[in-house]
Amino acid sequence: MSNVKEKLLKDLAESVVDMEEDDTIEIANDFIESGYDAYEGISNGLAAGMDEAGKLYEEEEYYIPELLMCSDAMYAGMDVLKPHLKYDETEEKYKAVVGVVEGDTHDIGKNLFKIMLETTGFEVYDLGRDVPPGEFINKAKELGAKLIGLSTLMTTTMDNMEIVVNLLKEEGMRDDVVVMVGGGPISQSFADKIGADGYAPEASRAARLAKDLVRGKMNVAV
Amino acid sequence: MPINSLSKKERLFCAIKREKVDRPPCICPGGMMNMIIEDIMDITKVEWPEAHKDPEMMAKLTMGVCENGGFENFGVPFCMTVEAESMGAIVGLGTKINEPRVIEYPINSVTEWNKLKELDLTKGRTKVVLDAIKILKSESSDIPIIANLVGPVSTASSLMEPVDYYKELRRKPKEAHEFMEFVTENLISFAKAQIQAGADILSISDPSGTGEILGPKLFKEFAAPYLNKIVNAVKEDVPGGTIIHICGKLKSVYGILNSLDSDVISFDSIASVKEVANNVNNKAIMGNVSTLAIEKSSPDIVENLAKGCIKSGVDILSPACGIGPRTKLENIQSMVEVAKESTSKNIVLKSS
Repeated sequence: MSNVKEKLLKDLAESVVDMEEDDTIEIANDFIESGYDAYEGISNGLAAGMDEAGKLYEEEEYYIPELLMCSDAMYAGMDVLKPHLKYDETEEKYKAVVGVVEGDTHDIGKNLFKIMLETTGFEVYDLGRDVPPGEFINKAKELGAKLIGLSTLMTTTMDNMEIVVNLLKEEGMRDDVVVMVGGGPISQSFADKIGADGYAPEASRAARLAKDLVRGKMNVAV
Repeated sequence: MPINSLSKKERLFCAIKREKVDRPPCICPGGMMNMIIEDIMDITKVEWPEAHKDPEMMAKLTMGVCENGGFENFGVPFCMTVEAESMGAIVGLGTKINEPRVIEYPINSVTEWNKLKELDLTKGRTKVVLDAIKILKSESSDIPIIANLVGPVSTASSLMEPVDYYKELRRKPKEAHEFMEFVTENLISFAKAQIQAGADILSISDPSGTGEILGPKLFKEFAAPYLNKIVNAVKEDVPGGTIIHICGKLKSVYGILNSLDSDVISFDSIASVKEVANNVNNKAIMGNVSTLAIEKSSPDIVENLAKGCIKSGVDILSPACGIGPRTKLENIQSMVEVAKESTSKNIVLKSS
């Protein structure tokens, strides 16, 4: 009995890694029809597959087009499984606000970060691209977000990240929020320089780091 | 000609062809590799965003950089949106310190490429760029004028949502190639017009079409051939030669870089000059002072980084990417000074 479930979870994960959206939908339906728990299908099937895809990306087996297709498969599977979630079974999620800073409309990196954050269990509010500094602060305040993720692919707009960090200080919110920065021109030394909490060169690593940093902050606060 | 009396233009032409020079030139092409900073806007009293749509202002700004001890070239435009806008994208021109950007895509899929407009050389900002080049040409014959082109993948992904574009390279390769052909033909017409207007050199930047994003297979299939198509279409007409700038990590595509037909390869600060020199043997090497350092650090740190680049063997000294408009002029001047003070003794000449 449990062998069938294990097999379906493995197939779900594999269909995501293999970018086979139609297969993912079919297996997700089988999974529900067999009476298994939707939450498990998401976390041990779809998210596990996306995590594996993220690793292949880190290892330079997969690149951005492949990763985007994996995420399409994952979301297609989510659409099947989500309606079957029993509400109280989902753990409380940390909220995150992500966006591309003002002056830049390139959002590939931000989209990948969002996908990987959702995979690791965040509830993500996406402000989109070309976002003025104040909007990050307002939305984080409104949602009680624990994480702000700032992205840019352009060297000419990197400065706007520092402006967001400084605005958080002015608003007295800096200690309540983890700030992550990322994107092509961003480096650890840049993150340190502007006083961000975290940086990682790849979206999947960044998402794991985000979770660690937010958990760390929460534990300190408690 | 005697190498101790080279004009800025002659020096850059020689460096591009990997001929002997008195010292490396220090340039920043324009386009994606932005050279315009607030300090220059204040000196010339010409500002963004107005300068993006006025040829006189555009020419005045880039001349202001060179005339105030900045980079040793002229280059226009100052953004990556002129081509896409002419083909139907809606562009927001930004502010004094934020560059223009595409805010609305004209198509939703590679299959819709035939709904795009042909790039129009007779009106709009394509014409502004061409007129600016004509002005620059009439102003000086000793300073090299660099025409800039947004690369085929970056132009294509400015015409539709990039996330969908990248996926469709895999899902709909046939239509994606048709789309790329259309984009490339239009880019060629703009490149040729810029050269005809008086540009000496063509520089192509394709920040969305890198090996780091696409991986080696798709880079080879969708980036390299179309870059080469442009280079080969203008080769006979462009007096000074061609530059291709590749952003991001190069590791996955080192093997393919030799197959690019440009005279110069320019690259990000994340790639090491020595490693590029070891892997690319048929091009002049241009780079790669960290733009972050140029913007955030002091003139002496920039000086050290620039010296490091020259020591490692760059033929042409340049920033690694576009510089932020809030960069201080003194940092750029310090970089140019390094080039001016270095002598041919410091320069590693290639034996070929």
